[in-house]
Amino acid sequence: TIDVLFSISGHNPEGDTTERRPRRWGIYRRRYNNVSEQVSSGIHPSSHRQQDGDSATSDAHMDTRVRYAPYAIPHCHWRGNFQERVQTHINKEREQNPPETKMEEKKQDETSGNWFKITIPFGIKYDEKWLLNLIQKQCSVPFTPVEFHYEKMQAHFFVENASIAFALKNVGGKICDKNNEKISIFVIPSNAPQTVQKELKSEKEDQIKVMQTPDQVKSAEELDQGKGLEPEDMSAKRNPICTTLPDNSTNVRLVVPSFTPDSAPKLIQHALLRLYSRKHDIPSSPVLGVTSLESDAGHWRRESGHLDGSYLAEWRSGGLLASTRQGCSADSSSYILELFPKLLCLDGQEPPPPTNLGIEAHKNVPSCKGSFFGSDPLKSLVLQFLKQYYSIYDSGDRHCLLCTYHDKACFSLTIPFNPNDPAQSTLFEYFKDNRNMKNRKDPNLHFQLLKHTKRDITCTLCVLPKTQHDLSSFVVDMLFQSERMLCFCVNGVFKEVEVEGRSQGSVRAFTRTFITTPASDSSLCIMNDELFVRDATPNTTQSVHSIEVPTPTTSSMTTLSQEQQEMVQVFSTKSGMSLQLSQKCLHDNHWDYTRAVQVLALCKAKYKLSEEALPQ
Amino acid sequence: MGDKPIWEHIGSRFIQHYYQLFDNDRTQLGTVERTAIQGKAAIVEKLSSLPFQKIQHSITAQDHQPTPDSCILSMAVGQLKADEDPIMGFHQMFLLKNISDAWVCTNDMFRLALHNFR
Repeated sequence: TIDVLFSISGHNPEGDTTERRPRRWGIYRRRYNNVSEQVSSGIHPSSHRQQDGDSATSDAHMDTRVRYAPYAIPHCHWRGNFQERVQTHINKEREQNPPETKMEEKKQDETSGNWFKITIPFGIKYDEKWLLNLIQKQCSVPFTPVEFHYEKMQAHFFVENASIAFALKNVGGKICDKNNEKISIFVIPSNAPQTVQKELKSEKEDQIKVMQTPDQVKSAEELDQGKGLEPEDMSAKRNPICTTLPDNSTNVRLVVPSFTPDSAPKLIQHALLRLYSRKHDIPSSPVLGVTSLESDAGHWRRESGHLDGSYLAEWRSGGLLASTRQGCSADSSSYILELFPKLLCLDGQEPPPPTNLGIEAHKNVPSCKGSFFGSDPLKSLVLQFLKQYYSIYDSGDRHCLLCTYHDKACFSLTIPFNPNDPAQSTLFEYFKDNRNMKNRKDPNLHFQLLKHTKRDITCTLCVLPKTQHDLSSFVVDMLFQSERMLCFCVNGVFKEVEVEGRSQGSVRAFTRTFITTPASDSSLCIMNDELFVRDATPNTTQSVHSIEVPTPTTSSMTTLSQEQQEMVQVFSTKSGMSLQLSQKCLHDNHWDYTRAVQVLALCKAKYKLSEEALPQ
Repeated sequence: MGDKPIWEHIGSRFIQHYYQLFDNDRTQLGTVERTAIQGKAAIVEKLSSLPFQKIQHSITAQDHQPTPDSCILSMAVGQLKADEDPIMGFHQMFLLKNISDAWVCTNDMFRLALHNFR
């Protein structure tokens, strides 16, 4: 899951107005933090006023002579001031928040840390429960004591609300202990108690992430159904951070909770569209900009088909995106550009032009080095493998490749992405199986196109166009070699066999990577097969006209006896397979005719090959 | 199924990261490349000393597969332009391996395309 945090602003050439917003939110906290500081260190109130410029009336009551002495009884004079101060605070609260939002604001104030420390001098004499009960009986409002503890002679606890603190203060002097002595209660503002501070910290982080979306939206699908990020949900009622609909001078901070990576872009899209359509009554706004983006950019999907970036004209990345993740800044621009291809402005600049570099030169390039095998034994092993593989592949009986693949092998096919011809009309036969991630936007389909079992692979191969590979054109590179694994790459050309209505005999260039493991009979077993097909250039086509159709006589197998040759002939006729393949099948079964027939039948039946795949 | 399979995620991230680094500052590829044969330093030195100043890659195709021993086989095909040279096609294969929770390239094979493509 990811959490995405970003701000939206209207196009605002004056720069960003984020300053205005958080101040309101931060005011209460700051004031109380400062007050406790003042109490503790005797700072002159004017410094406080400077910091918090617009609360001019608040602290005229402060007594500068007060020094915080934790174990002493607070000064009487101070007590009187405190009353006024609390009252002022409560008034301020009411002023700045219309009544209907008071509940929510109050709630937020609680979480923001509106704490008071309640002190009962000589409280050490009293049992906690007894004391608290007594106080509660007299107290006009219910309270929740937090972190009740004794310190030297005194008892202390914390409460979270100015009105409650005020009420508690009033209880002082009205309650008596068993000896009929009055019990005093003193109240001072304080920071949140330690335990709460720790909780708050983590809670707040979570809060930031989930605050702004309605609880009931659990998925992008629900958004589609109409539930959604209504601008009203982000009003002051629920959240003071986001106050109004976006216009050219207001910043709206949209917070998106954790969604699966694929649906996050959709969620954002919905949000943006809704915000703007409401404001401007148009489906999209060309001047929408996003001012900051925090996310685990690694999870953004470049290929996400959900996000329609047509409405987004400007994107400004926040500093966090660039700095928090290693390598993120290098990627983020391209991510953004992939998501929003029509951007006019990216981080204050024109985005770089699209990277398709154009037509290539194919002259004046020094000739490429030939194949790289690593060693001679490997060379002969690989060449042998390729000869056999392609002889079967070109024979039209590709289902026989079944034995060459491992049970859990993978195969995939890719063709190049051409933005001018996204349907790839020239390679249409391959397009259906194309796994190029630039074409394929649907992750489900993509997954299905990775053929996973030998059966699926063979079926797929069988329906690809019939080919003739030019072995002389092959350039082979060894990628990796170990005891268990051999990975190599073949580059070459092939010609498609002309089939009426299907293939026009085009010449294709291909690159195919195999990962193989040693098989029992000193051949190779394919674990991975990654094929890339592209059109070849005209001059390459010319040289390819000389491709020979492989004949049985070019098989690498040893010469056969008369008897074996006859067997091959009969087998071929009966099974409908080519001579070459019949020979292979018989050879693999040690020239036991009956067995060969059985194995072949079993092969077909077991893997339930499609009609097309069976030899005719 | 919502998420992409992990090998595609990692593979495509790697490819993007790799070409980004390669195009911008290939001395940083030390964080990316490592093989058993040559060793990181030698490879980075080789790549850094390739005789071009400026290079730009454009990927036209990529594909990724999981391998039997939990590696990822990644393929990238595209075009590149080095300095003022003409544009050329290339093809590159990477074998990615998970080592101590990081995905590292253990093998890399690069070839300029012999045959032009669109």
